[in-house]
Amino acid sequence: MAAAKPPFLGFGLGLRPQHYSEILNGSPAVDWFEVLSENYMVEGGQPLRMLDKICERYPVVMHGVSLSIASTSPLDLDYLTRLKALVARVNPKWISDHLCWTGVHGVNLHDLLPVPYTREALDHVVDRVSQVQDFLGRRLTLENVSSYVTFGQSEMTEWEFVSEVANRADCWLLFDVNNVYVSAYNHGFSADDFLHGVPRDRVVQFHVAGHSHEESHIVDTHDHPVCDEVWDLYRAAVAHFGPVSTMIERDDNIPPLAELVEELDHARGIASEVLGAPQLAAAE
Amino acid sequence: MSSLKDLQESFQRGILAGDDTILAEIKDSAKEDRKMLFGVYRHAYVARLAEVLADDYEQLHAYLGDAGFARFAKSYIAAHPSDRKSARDFGRHVPEFLKVDAGFNKHPELAEIASLEKALADAFDGLDAAPLKLARLAGIAPELWTKLAFTPHPTAHRLTVTTNAADIWTALREEAAPPQARLLPEPQAILVWRQDVTARFRTLGSEEAMMWDEAAAGTRFGVLCEMVATFGGEEGADFRAATYLKDWVDMESLADCRLLP
Repeated sequence: MAAAKPPFLGFGLGLRPQHYSEILNGSPAVDWFEVLSENYMVEGGQPLRMLDKICERYPVVMHGVSLSIASTSPLDLDYLTRLKALVARVNPKWISDHLCWTGVHGVNLHDLLPVPYTREALDHVVDRVSQVQDFLGRRLTLENVSSYVTFGQSEMTEWEFVSEVANRADCWLLFDVNNVYVSAYNHGFSADDFLHGVPRDRVVQFHVAGHSHEESHIVDTHDHPVCDEVWDLYRAAVAHFGPVSTMIERDDNIPPLAELVEELDHARGIASEVLGAPQLAAAE
Repeated sequence: MSSLKDLQESFQRGILAGDDTILAEIKDSAKEDRKMLFGVYRHAYVARLAEVLADDYEQLHAYLGDAGFARFAKSYIAAHPSDRKSARDFGRHVPEFLKVDAGFNKHPELAEIASLEKALADAFDGLDAAPLKLARLAGIAPELWTKLAFTPHPTAHRLTVTTNAADIWTALREEAAPPQARLLPEPQAILVWRQDVTARFRTLGSEEAMMWDEAAAGTRFGVLCEMVATFGGEEGADFRAATYLKDWVDMESLADCRLLP
């Protein structure tokens, strides 16, 4: 599936219904939007009307939460068909989902569940990514998830697993900075090892988000502003990967748009400090 | 070592049924034991779906209060594991659940408030269609009107309630104290539809409801007028039928009209 690496889009936000009118009536300093695919797999009404308007004005990428690429149940063809129809409507710069499973036997647990890092799981996921890419006729982008448990049967590190999937299935990666931070804390690995362990040329997007600290573990809640430690890791990620389309991901306790734009400006500032403003501008 | 398939099945049973078999596959972390760590997933499943229900059934939540709604959500989540990709579909069985579950069915207004909320949510992102405009009807020669048949807007949905659920919903929506729940002397017809991007509902009198149901089934206007005359008396029947029709056009609950042979 020969295709050039998607372009650097700059600094974006997740599109949330609370912000529709502020976005369409103002001109927020947001370069692009990420839309949650499942929210727009509907028949009509306001969601699709707003989506069409946003797509007229901004570059858009699609982000799903229920592909369940690592599930051992068969791929859901109905879901893939609806996803493909939405892709045709949106014409996104890329389509992402998570390197996880969400349920088996027709159940959807609505969570991004962890995969054991085994050869068996690797072969399974690589095969499924290839099937989905063939069906959609384009590359997928897969995101590393936050996890809370470690499986005894794992045979490799998470970053080795992620890298193998990307290289063998020939897909892109969404490097979720917060998820790396959360999982590194929960499992006691080095976030820096993860950062340097994934192939640079595969990473097309960063997620930056907040979380909830429970002392013995961290939960990936996306309901807080981004904390200093995650900003530090973001700084290291920009230094390592170069200009990568960056997005603030907030799913709960959603603040006014201006507050998220401010956080986005902070990301822009870090990238500019690390890469130098001219290089960043040239990449855009 | 479990196969990936066995591991996923065991993980899922651990979340849905509280089965601890999966713990044998999980390691303690340096800071926490495995049961507590797996508990993050158990807790998240229930918490996330309870939040979905609270979003989709906002007025039911307000009516039941936090504790009552939490009790309902826990029972519903246990009775209906999610089987759809979209969380939006998770609560689709709520009206039926409240109607039959022994913990809730003694309060029939609960299922009816839920039916109304579900119908409004379905209308919100249901199929688009341009509404039928008065100008279109005005262009049809008067002698042909008896042959006219109508197509409801695709989001239009008829409900019938036996309690004052609609009044309760309206009060809650306005953040006012809801009236005491009561059975109505007669069942009440409700029409739900979407006007532009706003999901709406309106109660219908029995004559209007009869005419709507017949019109939605494709009965031509001439016959509708006869039915209205039979239902509510011949005097002024044509005028009443025309008034109902004009209201439907004004509120954009019709999508099309056609002339039958």
